[in-house]
Amino acid sequence: MRSIRFHGRGGQGAKTASRIVGTAAFLEGLTAQDSPLYGAERRGAPVSASTRISREPIRERGLITRPDLIVIADESLIGDPTARVLDGLSERTVVFVNAALPSEQARDQFRIPGRVTTLDLTDMTLRQFGKPVALSAPLGAVACRLLGLKAESLKAAITGELADLGLPETVIEGNLALAASCYDAVPVVPVEEMAGTPPAPVSLWTPVYEPPTLGSARISASANSPLRETGGWRTFRPVLVPDKCNGCWLCFVYCPDGVISMTKDDLPLIDYDHCKGCQICVQECPTKALVAEREQEGAGTWRAK
Amino acid sequence: MAGEMMTGNLAAAWGARLAGVDYIPAFPITPQTEIVEALAEWCDCGAMPARFVMMDSEHSMMTAAGAGAAAGARVFTATSSQGLLYAFEVLYSVAGWRVPLVLVNVSRALAAPITLEPDHNDVLAARDAGFLQIHAETCQEVLDSILMAYRIAEDERVMLPVLVNLDGFYLSFTREPVIVPDPEKVAAFLPPLRPAHLGFKASAPHALGVAVLGGTPYTYFRHQMHLAAMNALQVHREAAADFERLFGRRYDVVEGYRLDDADDVLVMSNAFATKGRAAVDAARAKGRRVGLLRLRVIRPWPAEAIVTALRGRRAVGVLDQNLAPGLGGILVQEIAATLYHDPARPKAICSFIGGLGGKNIHEGEFDAIFARMEQAGKAGRGEGPVLLYTEAEHREMEQLQILASESRADR
Repeated sequence: MRSIRFHGRGGQGAKTASRIVGTAAFLEGLTAQDSPLYGAERRGAPVSASTRISREPIRERGLITRPDLIVIADESLIGDPTARVLDGLSERTVVFVNAALPSEQARDQFRIPGRVTTLDLTDMTLRQFGKPVALSAPLGAVACRLLGLKAESLKAAITGELADLGLPETVIEGNLALAASCYDAVPVVPVEEMAGTPPAPVSLWTPVYEPPTLGSARISASANSPLRETGGWRTFRPVLVPDKCNGCWLCFVYCPDGVISMTKDDLPLIDYDHCKGCQICVQECPTKALVAEREQEGAGTWRAK
Repeated sequence: MAGEMMTGNLAAAWGARLAGVDYIPAFPITPQTEIVEALAEWCDCGAMPARFVMMDSEHSMMTAAGAGAAAGARVFTATSSQGLLYAFEVLYSVAGWRVPLVLVNVSRALAAPITLEPDHNDVLAARDAGFLQIHAETCQEVLDSILMAYRIAEDERVMLPVLVNLDGFYLSFTREPVIVPDPEKVAAFLPPLRPAHLGFKASAPHALGVAVLGGTPYTYFRHQMHLAAMNALQVHREAAADFERLFGRRYDVVEGYRLDDADDVLVMSNAFATKGRAAVDAARAKGRRVGLLRLRVIRPWPAEAIVTALRGRRAVGVLDQNLAPGLGGILVQEIAATLYHDPARPKAICSFIGGLGGKNIHEGEFDAIFARMEQAGKAGRGEGPVLLYTEAEHREMEQLQILASESRADR
């Protein structure tokens, strides 16, 4: 059995990529299993998905704890401890990172102990479609190549999965072309089946009763939500063009996360440490005073503290 | 005779009144309505300094009750049957908030078909919600159990809501003498509510029942509820001792009747246990050495008390006033599991299903129960589920089928 764990942000296509790999393996006569895992948070939140492929019946369920291949759709996830991207990694695990850096550099910069390979899928996708879209097909293509699955199986899987999502034929065609070039371009590091490592022994803990101040699902620490910074979730940031703002406060009202405050001059002030980049304010602004700008590497980029 | 004549419903209302509750969110349903009517009247005339609010449903009622208790108020509410089921998801929520409110359920069999009379499928459906459950046999016990319920619920070792159950009609609308305890003694029994993890202060916000993903915190918190419920066995013991000292009446988690030399023991709960006592006397008069064990506290499950009462018996019969379709009786499963590991476990466990939808259990049916238990005990082999439903009753049933049939000529 080979175990592939995908990591992305909600909306980036990690779940569909895991299905593409599952379907491609299934079409080649293998046994396959794929399942996503996500919480109650929405677009931009860390998401993972697990795919298992095997020649034998699969006797596992749920999140992969010891991956043979990790596929990372967004390099910013590596620094996010809640995303647990590198959990269960060994030096034999292959790690694919969607990044503009060469493999060696990525390995050093992100301090990944496994065998690293990279490709700039975001750039290839922007070139194919002219705008940012989900990376399902390129992620699936890279994983299929690394696993040694055939290009025809990948093609059939992408066609089936994207049709299931109701995407028009032109979009599917574009994705097939993009997937084919990603399949060819990714530097191959073969994914080996991990030899059965013995499970780590556990000691069962017998909890004792604790008073309800501790023993009930209760949070009494006030104002702890600002500690969870979500600015790194953005691929686009809303930026104010002050001359166009009429001070209507609609952005303030519509922001689902309450990260917009208003100055005494009725101008919105955006808390970029917590803005998830949902773009609702950009869509709702009646005077187009808020515009979406691509997050870039550099001084202006948000970094987890 | 001491006390005064009152219904089980009025006794329940008196329990809430004496407990000095702050807040009563309410919604009417037969056969419970009399409880909230009495409380509404007392709140209206100033006899009770509590806030009474009529809600739009049992779901809202239970939510308001949990929220009120989370704010630090002593809360009482009551429902029955379909109402309990309508509040069902909230039962689990408020138990997880660890709020010490008291809910009275007046048992009524569940639809469909619709009836107003009791059995225990309603209250037993809620047995895994995290509420503790006390099932009362008499109107006096209804009142007393509500006072004990607050005392146990509000203990920091427990902090779980408690459900006190009484049977519709057989207690709810049945008058019998009830002694109303002295309010000053009740105040001594029931100290003011000061929960450390609850309360409402604008300067100190807190969140209850927050989302936990990944299974680990969920496992911990859910298991804490189990430990809290198990602690209630000891807290109940202390409360029972104090209650007896102050009021002279003693309530244990289970109650035995003529168990000392009994070969065979019948297990029952709620109001029909009174009839069970009479049946034990009648059987003994005929030379059968039988006894009765009444389950009073159902959650926490009083395993030790049950084993102590039932070990070494020839046969145990469990009269379930409920029916789990596809399984049989509910309580007999728990009794059997409890006895399994005891080396002196009874030779036979018999399961009887009776009193469904308030159907009477006749003396003759009790005779049949004890006869079958004796036979099973001698054979060393239990039986069941045995339905308590007589030939005469089935003849009535056939008449109803004829009346309900479209083409009577077919019959």
